[in-house]
Amino acid sequence: MSEHAPQTKPNRPPRSCGVIAEYSEEHHLLEAATKVREAGYTKTDAFTPYPVHGIDRALGIKPTILPFIVVCGGLLGLTTALTMEYWMNVVDYPYIISGKPFASWPAFIPVAFELTVLFSAITTFLGSIALNRLPKFSNPVFTSPKFDRATDDRFFLFVDSQDKYYNKKSVEELLHATHPQSIEEVKEDSTPSNIPRPVLICILLVMVAGLIPASLVFKMRNGMDPLPRWHVFFDMDFQPKKKPQQISTIFADGRAMRPQVAGTVARGQLEQADPYYLGYDPSQLSMIETQGVRLVSSAQEPAKAVENRVASPRDGQPPVPAETKSVAEQPPKVEPPKAEPETVAPADPAPTPVVTAAPQAPTPVDAKLQPPAVPAVSAAGATQAPTPGVPNLPFVKKIPMEVDEAAMNLGKQKFEIYCAACHGVGGDGDGLVARRADELAQGYWLAPTSMHSDAVRKQAVGQVFYTITKGKGKMASYGAVLTPKERWAIVLYVRALQRSRNANLDDVPEDQRGSLAKGE
Amino acid sequence: MATIANTFEIDNTVDIPGRRAPLVTGNQTLGSITNLVCGIAERPQPLIWYICFAIAISFAGMFFSLIAYLLYKGVGIWGNMSPVFWAWPIVNFVFWVGIAHAGTLISAILYLFRQNWRTSINRAAEAMTIFAVVCAGIFPGIHVGRAWLAFWLTPYPSLNLWMWPQFRSPLLWDVFAVGTYASVSLMFWYMGMIPDLATYRDRSKSKFRRLIYGILCLGWSGSSRHWMRYEKAYLILAALATPLVLSVHTVVSFDFAVSQVPGWHTTIFPPYFVAGAIFSGFAMVVTLLVPVRKIYGIQNLITMRHLENMNKIILVTGSLVGLAYATEFFMAWYSYNQFESFAFINRAFGPYWWAYWTMVTCNVISPQLFWFKKLRTSPVLMVIICIFVNVGMWFERFVITVTSLSRDFLPSSWGYFRPTMIDGLMFSGSLGLFLTLFLLFCRFLPIIAMSEVKGVLSIQNHADAHHHGHGSSAH
Amino acid sequence: MIEIKNDESLRLPESWRTKPIALIVAGIVAIGLSFVLFRFVSSDNTMKLVSHSYLANFIFCLTFGIGAMFFVLVQFLVRSGWSATVRRQAELISTTIPWMAMLFIPILIMLALGSKELYEWNDTKENLHGLTAEKTGYLNWWFFSARSIAYLGIWSFITTWMHKHSRRQDETGDVGLTIKMQAYSGPMVVFFALSVSFAAFDWIMSLDSDWYSTIFGVYLFAASMVAFFALMILLFLALQKSGKLRDQVNMEHFHDMGKIMFGFNMFWAYSAFSQFLLYWYADIPEETNWFRERYDNGWFFLAYALIIIHFIIPFLGFMSRHVRRNRLGLGFWSAWFLVAHWMDMTFLVMPNTHLPISGLMIVAHLVGLVGMSSIFFAFLIMRASDVPLVAVRDPRLHEALSYSNPIL
Repeated sequence: MSEHAPQTKPNRPPRSCGVIAEYSEEHHLLEAATKVREAGYTKTDAFTPYPVHGIDRALGIKPTILPFIVVCGGLLGLTTALTMEYWMNVVDYPYIISGKPFASWPAFIPVAFELTVLFSAITTFLGSIALNRLPKFSNPVFTSPKFDRATDDRFFLFVDSQDKYYNKKSVEELLHATHPQSIEEVKEDSTPSNIPRPVLICILLVMVAGLIPASLVFKMRNGMDPLPRWHVFFDMDFQPKKKPQQISTIFADGRAMRPQVAGTVARGQLEQADPYYLGYDPSQLSMIETQGVRLVSSAQEPAKAVENRVASPRDGQPPVPAETKSVAEQPPKVEPPKAEPETVAPADPAPTPVVTAAPQAPTPVDAKLQPPAVPAVSAAGATQAPTPGVPNLPFVKKIPMEVDEAAMNLGKQKFEIYCAACHGVGGDGDGLVARRADELAQGYWLAPTSMHSDAVRKQAVGQVFYTITKGKGKMASYGAVLTPKERWAIVLYVRALQRSRNANLDDVPEDQRGSLAKGE
Repeated sequence: MATIANTFEIDNTVDIPGRRAPLVTGNQTLGSITNLVCGIAERPQPLIWYICFAIAISFAGMFFSLIAYLLYKGVGIWGNMSPVFWAWPIVNFVFWVGIAHAGTLISAILYLFRQNWRTSINRAAEAMTIFAVVCAGIFPGIHVGRAWLAFWLTPYPSLNLWMWPQFRSPLLWDVFAVGTYASVSLMFWYMGMIPDLATYRDRSKSKFRRLIYGILCLGWSGSSRHWMRYEKAYLILAALATPLVLSVHTVVSFDFAVSQVPGWHTTIFPPYFVAGAIFSGFAMVVTLLVPVRKIYGIQNLITMRHLENMNKIILVTGSLVGLAYATEFFMAWYSYNQFESFAFINRAFGPYWWAYWTMVTCNVISPQLFWFKKLRTSPVLMVIICIFVNVGMWFERFVITVTSLSRDFLPSSWGYFRPTMIDGLMFSGSLGLFLTLFLLFCRFLPIIAMSEVKGVLSIQNHADAHHHGHGSSAH
Repeated sequence: MIEIKNDESLRLPESWRTKPIALIVAGIVAIGLSFVLFRFVSSDNTMKLVSHSYLANFIFCLTFGIGAMFFVLVQFLVRSGWSATVRRQAELISTTIPWMAMLFIPILIMLALGSKELYEWNDTKENLHGLTAEKTGYLNWWFFSARSIAYLGIWSFITTWMHKHSRRQDETGDVGLTIKMQAYSGPMVVFFALSVSFAAFDWIMSLDSDWYSTIFGVYLFAASMVAFFALMILLFLALQKSGKLRDQVNMEHFHDMGKIMFGFNMFWAYSAFSQFLLYWYADIPEETNWFRERYDNGWFFLAYALIIIHFIIPFLGFMSRHVRRNRLGLGFWSAWFLVAHWMDMTFLVMPNTHLPISGLMIVAHLVGLVGMSSIFFAFLIMRASDVPLVAVRDPRLHEALSYSNPIL
């Protein structure tokens, strides 16, 4: 039998391949197989509609090496999976997910298991086909029409002419004694084995057609096209919405962007003018900007800057309730009787703390918030120099809210929740995140700033507030997360932390000095 | 042949200890089995086939049209809405994957346990596995939003992304598990079919059929050497498919259980999901095979004993599922974890009480009817019960997915899930696709593993000879 | 109907039959010795160590019976033929349960006396804290005792009922008995599943009364099955060595038992992994705490050893059918599984003492094991001494005697 070859005349008479006997009963086949084997034939085979158990023993068929191949396939799958997972998720694309380590072996097991099974199964499937030398569409035994029943209800025993004891006569005699239904000589499949021309042409056409998409992709990857790309899928590229500066047919003025309605205040607009929310005084800013003075030079040209700022007008000052309150509680003689907020004022003659002892403050710590070493003169300029990314702004120099133990506690609480993760509980820039990042040593991590570095210590409170609000470098902005009160409280706490590193015995309340000396 | 095929009155569900009831009835011979099975594909199909096929393919067509509409419009056409983002698509996915499991169980696990009765039903069950996996695979594929980029799930070296999939994600485990399952099931199914395709080839009258089946069967000759390697390969595939089938629904359960969502995060989930999958799969096999054996007149091959055995497995797995429900409930109470107990009380008495009690009625109570032999040997009743089971198992996935999500940790986002009509149409469309494929399978491929049934017949005849001959020294 | 001649080759060897008294005495002495040794481990926590070790070893020996009971039930449930010659052995192992139940009495007495050494929840609500205080409605000594007695009662009933009917068939050869046992095995499996699950929750899981895991019953069940098959294979090997059962139990049976043991060991690993992965991944403190306890104080040695010894090594070593069809291989790996199972039970119970693992502790625990298993074997021998070791008139004997695994 042949599937797809037209019958053509063979060039030579078909060669004999062996003898085949047909049986209708399983046990006849088994008996015959045993006999044939006992007669010394080894190149034999049986063809049955179902696996006849015992035939392998009767014919002397050796067990297959398939299990061994499958084990190799499975191990290959396991190795592939684990290597792939490790390389992809640990080496090439490490990405922190739900706090799990990069090499999360328990999570790697399911895929490793699946690929082990997949590789083993593919090996089994392909291995068994390959060991059986399939597909094989031309087989000498198929030439007999009787053989069609080998897959139905008949059993066949075949003795190959290649067997060294093969002799057609004697084989046929031997088989005759085994109750066969029939005995036939098997002839070579004489149909030509070359592929017919139409089939060849079809294959060729399919192959050429297969090249078309590949070459299209190649052209698109390597060429330029002035036209926009095809939108097979829109991917939200075209949305029913207006972008800025576009025309609208809905409104009489034809503008898609709508101006602010007269007499309304947009969300956030009020706060745009209040140093309590900003950390700097915007009125100063506008004045400075109109005069075209660059504050960055203020360190080098203190006199000029001083002039500018001292001359700054106080009109247009927005109401600052929190601040007013704090002013009311400040001892009038300590602070210069200036209007709040206090902008960076180089006019101050000496490096004196802006906020000095506040006798009525609840705890002694609160009274000494500002480290005395902070030179009020160059708060803006000096701190800007090393960090050019931060704009020079007229930062507030004094915390515009009431400073008491409650504020300090609030600041401590919020600092430890939001800041300590990176900056560390002590503000040294050694939080858990920073330490973990150091362990990972990925190279692109920027260490969090220490609160005790000179640069930070020299910053005005307003600048610290500004940094918390807007974020800086890798640090995210916390303006949306923390209320202004909480942010100022954090600033307060940071000041306290800084002070704590530079304290001397005088800072300790008198009644506790004794215990300190004892080394407690 | 006609006289043989019509004598299916023997009750082979009665089993006298020491003497096995026949698994193939009606005095079959090797040839009559071939005739019975090949006749299905060779004879014109009965009218009922055409009616079913017309209905099924129209539903399948609707399914694909709706998928096209989904791609055009986006997932907003479904009822998925905060907080229930995993709604019907995932429910349908888990449902179909579960259905698939019975096929592998029959073909692999029962094979390892030498359960000969599997041979008459394994082919159809395996085919059902493949088709169910096809339906299952479609749902998460179109659920990803931009379905045309679903291939991003595979680890391939991308020139644009420079990214790799995240192997710590259970959803990716799913991709591998379902992918492996589909591939292995397909190989297993095809492997088992090779000898039968050769029978089809050898019986073909037309040259074209002979060519097609000849190519499909790879030129199988039935050589004993081939059989030996083939059987070994089949055994190995069975041994591989057994842990695989367990792992697939286990991984599906991990999708839920590794999270912290109350009602999902419980350790019984893996075995409980597997039991539920087998439960629903067997119910589907029974639902399909009872009409099939009637329509094609193969009651002598798929006998009442086969159906009864399947019903017993449905009873066992149904009870296991019930046990798991009870364990979950007990543990929710025992743990004194208030989230967990809330989740379970909410399931039973919250807004989705109707779904929960449908599930319990269909899954726990209805299979208990199979304790009675009368019920588990009545074709009509067993189909009805099995349909109830499948409804219940769909509701189980609905209850798990929707009730837990609709009451998550953030009470402000609690909500009530409402499906759209498209949700419902798509699910019925997937049923249509499944049936279409199954009907085509009945039409063109051997629905019963002839070579295996012949092997069982040989063993049966052998045992009979042995039994009657008592002292005979055979074997 | 094939019958096996009910002769001396189906009886326990004479030398075994005389042992029980000596074994029980030795067992009691060894358990006593382990108590003394535990005193040297930690004099402050002697009672705690003693009770934990006793419970671990008790459960180790009880799991054989649990596994055997399930095996017997399932053989009837699925009308199995191959196992007709090996089933009696499982019946005998399972009937140790009613006697093993007596060994649970000391624990119940401890609880009744108000000891908190073993179960920390055994106290009044006021003295407990956290979740445990909320659970006193379920976890209190009398309800716990009632449940324990119920579990042991159910198992005792099932095992003796099955054994009684099987023995009756030895005498009468009545096929109806098989049909009856088949019919009853279904409901019995339901009771078995419920009681084993809850016994695992009560006896082991509640040691850490805050912790919970729904798969825990399945885990213990899988472990029991492995242990039971290991013991059964070893018993058959030992009996055949002394010339018994040589014709009735052949390599095909060993091969099958080996396969099932291997399969159940994979199932054990599966349930252990499922439990671990879910808790590791979700990372909820009250759930991971249980694993933490099994990691601290040096117990992680045992935890890692368990993965390797209970799963990885036997998985690779016992995978090949050639090993399973080899007496030496079978014996070796069965013994290996018994060791692994004992490690497993130790791992479940002992870290709950919150005491560091130490060499002496393991030695004392091992001496306790020797004692407990001596008593177990004494019970087993007493059960088996006047019974044929094969169900001689089982209607399916011919299947068991003639079947063979496919060679391939």
